[in-house]
Amino acid sequence: MKATAAPPNFTMATFMTVWKVFVRSIATRLRVAGLSLLGLGAVALGLAIHLSHSANRPNAAWSLVDSFGLSLLIPVVALVFASAALGDVAEDGTLVYLWLRPLPRWQLALGAFGASVTVVVPVAVLPLVVGAAISGGGWRIAGGAAAGGLLATVAYSAVFCGLGLRVRRALAWGLAYLLIWEQAVARVSHGAARASIFINTRSLAAHVAQHPPPTNAVAWTTGLIFPLVVTVVALALTTRSLDRGEIT
Amino acid sequence: MTSPGSSPTIAVRQLSKWFGSVVALSDLSFDIGPGVTALLGPNGAGKSTLFRVLCGLANPSQGTVRIFDENPRANPDLTSRIGIAPQQERLFERQTIIEFVRLAATLHHIPDPDRAALLAIETVELDPADPRPLAAYSKGMRQRVKLAQALVNDPDLLVLDEPLEGLDPRQRLRTIELFRRLGDEGKTVVVSSHVLEEVERFGSRILVITQGRLVAEGPFSAIRDLMDDRPHRLRVGTDQPLALAAGLLTTGLVTGARIKDGWIEVETSDSPAFRRSVAVVARDCEARLTEVRALDDDLESVFAYLVGRR
Repeated sequence: MKATAAPPNFTMATFMTVWKVFVRSIATRLRVAGLSLLGLGAVALGLAIHLSHSANRPNAAWSLVDSFGLSLLIPVVALVFASAALGDVAEDGTLVYLWLRPLPRWQLALGAFGASVTVVVPVAVLPLVVGAAISGGGWRIAGGAAAGGLLATVAYSAVFCGLGLRVRRALAWGLAYLLIWEQAVARVSHGAARASIFINTRSLAAHVAQHPPPTNAVAWTTGLIFPLVVTVVALALTTRSLDRGEIT
Repeated sequence: MTSPGSSPTIAVRQLSKWFGSVVALSDLSFDIGPGVTALLGPNGAGKSTLFRVLCGLANPSQGTVRIFDENPRANPDLTSRIGIAPQQERLFERQTIIEFVRLAATLHHIPDPDRAALLAIETVELDPADPRPLAAYSKGMRQRVKLAQALVNDPDLLVLDEPLEGLDPRQRLRTIELFRRLGDEGKTVVVSSHVLEEVERFGSRILVITQGRLVAEGPFSAIRDLMDDRPHRLRVGTDQPLALAAGLLTTGLVTGARIKDGWIEVETSDSPAFRRSVAVVARDCEARLTEVRALDDDLESVFAYLVGRR
């Protein structure tokens, strides 16, 4: 029975193990199937724009990226998967099987975050990029979709991972945050826009796509840096919650 | 509960835990050393909360907990010396048993996680090659899966929350033997239960907890005596309650009697002697005895008594 344990430290093997547990936990058939349909919506819209033979394809393609991809598709898909990553295991009590191990807590936070990004990219970002690419709006639009989409995925995943751990009914709270802050307040208030993941990632996407700056746009450098700062702060807070909070 | 001079595995001092206005644990102080220690208490007594605080899953509201002289909340590395089987049934349902136990071994940084997982699964007499997901496992099998993952790192301290629940009688026996063997090897095994007879078979020291308070502690035999010596209430059925009650009061075995709905309710501190003498008294009173029944032989009554005497 004796199997001496090595001193605990960070190893890629343990990180990958944690990551796999979270991927398997969040990527249920129902979630992946349901949200893939939403993702396929982006492809369908891109195809519709392509078939429209409109002279205004670049604007239509940008609307696909802005009004559908960055406003709805990526935030909602990230909310569902990321809030489930730590939220599901905390809710059903299985988090103890990860928490009661000699691992730095940040590794759990990073594993959950990584799992969310891993799932959101193929389910939401990839279809958005494909939709933008086939729309006929030009490759720069697709590049903007990729840059903005990836950055939004990273930032939202970090925020919603923490939300899932801290609150019950994280989906409802997350939707409220998206609707009220990201899609209402940030659109009308220039000050609030600076603190919005949506506005920042959209500004970056517009810059890459060489599209005219949208309403309340921030500088592309801000658009790049702010979501990354949000990501780091959110992961730090999630680690702190795992460290100091009560584990159910 | 530790030998003099040695440091206890678990040292709890003035521990309280509350959730809002609900007090789950109240001013607990005790030490636990190597060997098997049973935590006995009715459902809702606070056993699981205590286990969660011991393992660092929850913060004490007041007081301190030390495991191997360290704060379990502050040091995740301490978990390499602890194995826990929580009460909740959920596991990673889509995993197989070998995946689940190997996961624990990998996260414990065990050099050969496959071998460690196999050994742990064999120890609890399950099949490591079982291809079914854990979702298909029965309650008893889940209990053994939880035990296997708790054993996989060969911990010095095992904290097992109601580990016998759902096991069949044979598995119960084997599992109790396993606990005793681990205790004899010098490991500290803390097992919670709400079944007195189960705890008796551990041959262990026990802590009795109820309503969040520690109401008794010591070797099982001492607790058993305490429980047997408590006043017992019995109901006696007869066609002449007045005469029989008067007769019983003269025996000196009865500390109180009252007649209620035609029955006699008596209180005695020596239940076996009372049962022997009641028939004699009934015969002398020419009363017909229809029933003699204990009213408080259930464990809840025992716990209530222990709470009352604190």
